[in-house]
Amino acid sequence: MKARPWLLLILCAVVASAIAGAIGRLDATPATPKPRVLRIAMNTSDLPTTTGAPSQGLEGLRFAGYPVFEPLVMWDLRVTDRIPGVIPWLAESWTVDAADRNRWTFRLRRGVTFHDGSPFDADAVIWNLHRYFDTSAPQWDAAGGAWARSRAPILKSWEKIDDHTVVISTSTPTSYFPEVLTTVLFVSPARWRELKGDWQAFAQRPAGTGAFRIDEVNRTAITMSRNPAYWNRARAAKVDGVKLYAMGEPTTRVAALRSGEVDWVENPPADALPFLRKAGYQIATSPMPHVWAYFLRSRPGGPFHDLRVRQAMNYAIDREGIVTLLNGAARPAQGFWEPEDRRFGQPTNRYAYDPARSRALLKAAGYPADKLVPVRVLTTPVASGQMLSLPMNELLQQSAAKAGFKLEFMVVEGNQMNAMSRNDSPKMGDIDIYNKGYNTGESTYLYYWMYPPNIANYFDKASKELLDEYRVTFDPVERDAILLRLHERFVDDAPMAWVVHDVNPRAFAPNVRGYTPARSWYTDLTTIYLTD
Amino acid sequence: MLQFLIRRSIQGIPILFGVSIITFALVHLMPGGIVDSLVPPGAPPGLREEIERIYGLDRPLWEQYLLWLRQVLQGNFGISLVTGRPIAEELVAALLNSFKITLAAAVVGFSLGIAFGVLAALHSGRWPDKLFSLFSIAGVSVPPFWFAILLVTVFAFQLNWLPAQGMGPEGIPTSWTQWRHMILPIATLSMIPMGVVGRVVRAATLEVLSQEFVTALSAKGLQMDAIRRHVARNAAPTILAVMGLQFGHLIGGSILVETVFNWPGTGKLLNLAIFSGDIPVIQATVLLLSVIFVILNLGVDTAQALIDPRMRR
Amino acid sequence: MNKSMILPADAAARAPAPPGRRRANRVLSRLRRDKTTVAAMAVFLLIVALAIFAPLVTGGEPYAGSALERLKPIGTPGHPLGTDELGRDMWTRLVYGARLSLISGAAPVLIALLLGGGLGVVAGYAGGRVNTLIMRTMDIFYAFPAVLLAIAVCAVMGPGLASTIIALGIVFIPSLVRVTETATTRIRSMDYIEAARCSGVNDLQIIVHQVAPNILGPVLVYAASLASLSIILAAGLSFLGLGMPPPNADWGQMLNSLRQAIYVQPWLAALPGMMIFITSACFNLMSDGLRAAMDVQDG
Repeated sequence: MKARPWLLLILCAVVASAIAGAIGRLDATPATPKPRVLRIAMNTSDLPTTTGAPSQGLEGLRFAGYPVFEPLVMWDLRVTDRIPGVIPWLAESWTVDAADRNRWTFRLRRGVTFHDGSPFDADAVIWNLHRYFDTSAPQWDAAGGAWARSRAPILKSWEKIDDHTVVISTSTPTSYFPEVLTTVLFVSPARWRELKGDWQAFAQRPAGTGAFRIDEVNRTAITMSRNPAYWNRARAAKVDGVKLYAMGEPTTRVAALRSGEVDWVENPPADALPFLRKAGYQIATSPMPHVWAYFLRSRPGGPFHDLRVRQAMNYAIDREGIVTLLNGAARPAQGFWEPEDRRFGQPTNRYAYDPARSRALLKAAGYPADKLVPVRVLTTPVASGQMLSLPMNELLQQSAAKAGFKLEFMVVEGNQMNAMSRNDSPKMGDIDIYNKGYNTGESTYLYYWMYPPNIANYFDKASKELLDEYRVTFDPVERDAILLRLHERFVDDAPMAWVVHDVNPRAFAPNVRGYTPARSWYTDLTTIYLTD
Repeated sequence: MLQFLIRRSIQGIPILFGVSIITFALVHLMPGGIVDSLVPPGAPPGLREEIERIYGLDRPLWEQYLLWLRQVLQGNFGISLVTGRPIAEELVAALLNSFKITLAAAVVGFSLGIAFGVLAALHSGRWPDKLFSLFSIAGVSVPPFWFAILLVTVFAFQLNWLPAQGMGPEGIPTSWTQWRHMILPIATLSMIPMGVVGRVVRAATLEVLSQEFVTALSAKGLQMDAIRRHVARNAAPTILAVMGLQFGHLIGGSILVETVFNWPGTGKLLNLAIFSGDIPVIQATVLLLSVIFVILNLGVDTAQALIDPRMRR
Repeated sequence: MNKSMILPADAAARAPAPPGRRRANRVLSRLRRDKTTVAAMAVFLLIVALAIFAPLVTGGEPYAGSALERLKPIGTPGHPLGTDELGRDMWTRLVYGARLSLISGAAPVLIALLLGGGLGVVAGYAGGRVNTLIMRTMDIFYAFPAVLLAIAVCAVMGPGLASTIIALGIVFIPSLVRVTETATTRIRSMDYIEAARCSGVNDLQIIVHQVAPNILGPVLVYAASLASLSIILAAGLSFLGLGMPPPNADWGQMLNSLRQAIYVQPWLAALPGMMIFITSACFNLMSDGLRAAMDVQDG
């Protein structure tokens, strides 16, 4: 045989185009007309744990938390005109004891069952509290416990009054305790026993009380289906199921939406927004109570021990530049809250990009004018609330260089950064700036980040006293007045350099309907439905 | 033959031993110390000591190594620090996922490489040869992660034909939904083996063709069949060696491609572990992949020896 | 993963070794006639020259930019290759990126040449137990898949240029030891070496004057193809986030951070990868040319 290379080439070309054609055609036929499953690409590098104490930050809670497992009291995610407050959920009502303000009584909702059919009652509540807060209990879960205790450190003891009443006590009177309790989610003790007390096995077959139940967990996805026996009929799910994927890479998320693998992507990159709109996808934004900030750690000997340097950093940040970088999907931040918030107040400093002022402050603090002040920044590329971390940081590096600072980065993975965020962690030793996007919709976080001891090493007598006062003030109007004074103090004392508020963009396939743009970190998946 | 196999296996033992020592030592080179990475945030007091005891960190280094080795030999790789799940389970699942694309990529790459190599040699110096040279140089010079992004841009993003990422349903790929996820990763991964194997096959074929008796044979008009047989016999050991090594590198080197395609294999597992500081997972993955690599090399040597008795030295 | 990783010693070192200047001249004249190799070398030298004279051929400010000027297309006045995701000039970034990429690609090979080459010559020349000790140790490192070992070393050492260079150096040393050892063993048994030994010339002199010039050919051929792999691997480590921290972008990191721009400027986003591709291909072509010119047989 005489070999004919061109014949082979033609053959290759024919085969290739045939395959390509087949691919095109096969793709054109809709693969799954029924059941209607909402497929979501989360902005996390790995899937959250499914034991009722989700990992992967608030994004984990958003998708692998509330839809499946529920707290006693819950954020009202169907409110869109204000930051949602706390409403009755698994508890129908609650009261705080007038004499002992540490004592909270919760009346449990009747007729609620877990996904495995077992009843939700006072015993289940007590069992779960042991799981999270009692290291000696057989159901003690180290991972879940660490999470719950970091969120609710003030929860001290609990007591069953009758089958439908429990008392939970705090270690110190805390007016915002119901907000704290939104992070304690309840799972089925019966299922845990059935699985012989193995939390790993439980993660594979979990049971909560939520609108969705988890059917399958594997390395690729978490698959949930509608809970037909959901207690909250008014808020039952409309879709048949939900599938959660972890896609930490923004390009990957958009490409997945584009190629029809998912219907919903979290936080699409700003550059893709015009493209996606043009291609017929829906973009939703909601002013999320979220600020992306630099925590200025005032360690002794570090530059930020000096108030002038902390203020200088706030003037060294090009907030407008970041907004441009994000294609407008953010708002400049001048403090903890947005400027029009009733609690914003009238701080002396209104931070904007002002390199000259920053340099002047640095000079006043004794730094030579001809050298940049080196500061080390700890950040992570992918984590809940972290927005477009790396490009944003690089832009800030540029803007800060003109204002007298030299930013150096240490980049770690999100969970590792959380693990490091303790002041006694040896790895935090020479970190000057802790970069974090965080939730401003819950008072818990105010304490978490600002009350000493905190990650920023921030200790200010005046603001500590205000926080203490806020904690024991149960009147809503008075509380706002305290927060206003507190905020004025914060902004001028500059324990953080506030950069931008997120507007929380999401992109949906054209057939996704019923999205509720709550001003929250969480979202109500039950209102969603899919059209043809 | 059996003697050869036994001898080679025995030779492999010190290598495996060395591999385990290096894998173990890697972790102790980590700055910051192992305990800091192991202790979770907000850990209750005493946990630090507890972890030091469990991991035997209070003992001398050689004892720690033996402890670790004993566990590993029992198939116990410990527990992931991040997910809390047993590593062995995760690792095996990830390995099977990686095999899906690497095996297919090897088959595709090797077949194309052999076809192109023979073709180029038969037309040495003329345009098919030159075209192939271009192909193979491109194949070995293209950064796989970049090529992967290009493929995604064109086929997932612009044309919207294939999924951009992910694996689809788990299990042995039988359905189109599973295969369509594999096409782009396989295309990316098969570039290098195609280029490398092609070059080797071309060289081997040319060498056979240049031998005098082949010229004589072709003069007799017997050519193709005889040549083919001859090439196969003479070049097979080298080509086998190359293919074996290439397959090993595919498995060991798929981390970049898996990262781009968000493929839940060993590469992604390792990448996640690196950035979350999950030391036991890093250790286990590196060890397992290296052991597979060593065994693969042993397999190649054996196959070579089967084909060519001269190799049994 | 690259061809260089699969053609160890035994293949690359089959070069016959007639010593002397005549051979060098012949190699050079052959190389000169090989158009492909000359072209590859020209492109490579151009990239090197650009990297060296980066401040002269660009504005000299790879980190300067404005977010308002971001992602301008190729051909924008003032920005011939457009601007990146932070509004920095792409041409400047690419040229400065060449510095880091070439360093992180070439340095590991040079380190491996010195250490691995040295060890290989010692092993080959000394033979016996020394040989066994060195070669068996190398076998262990050789037992790791290259990419995996590089990533593992980089991961434990933490990101940075030094980690990249050391990690890749460690990966390349064993294969260079193998190549030099095979070549040296072959030379050692040659008559003229035996003669020199008998006449009482000391070992160091023999190595420097007789062995080194004769093994240089195959070793260089091999090193050039390693360099092509090294460029890709270094970029890959950067791509994973194990390279230098920002803003010191090399091509790998630029490629990663420009990934998001594929919606807006797909061609712009492809540029850094294109540079890696071109440089790597140059090394491969030069390696091939050298191999052909020196009569080093292909595996």
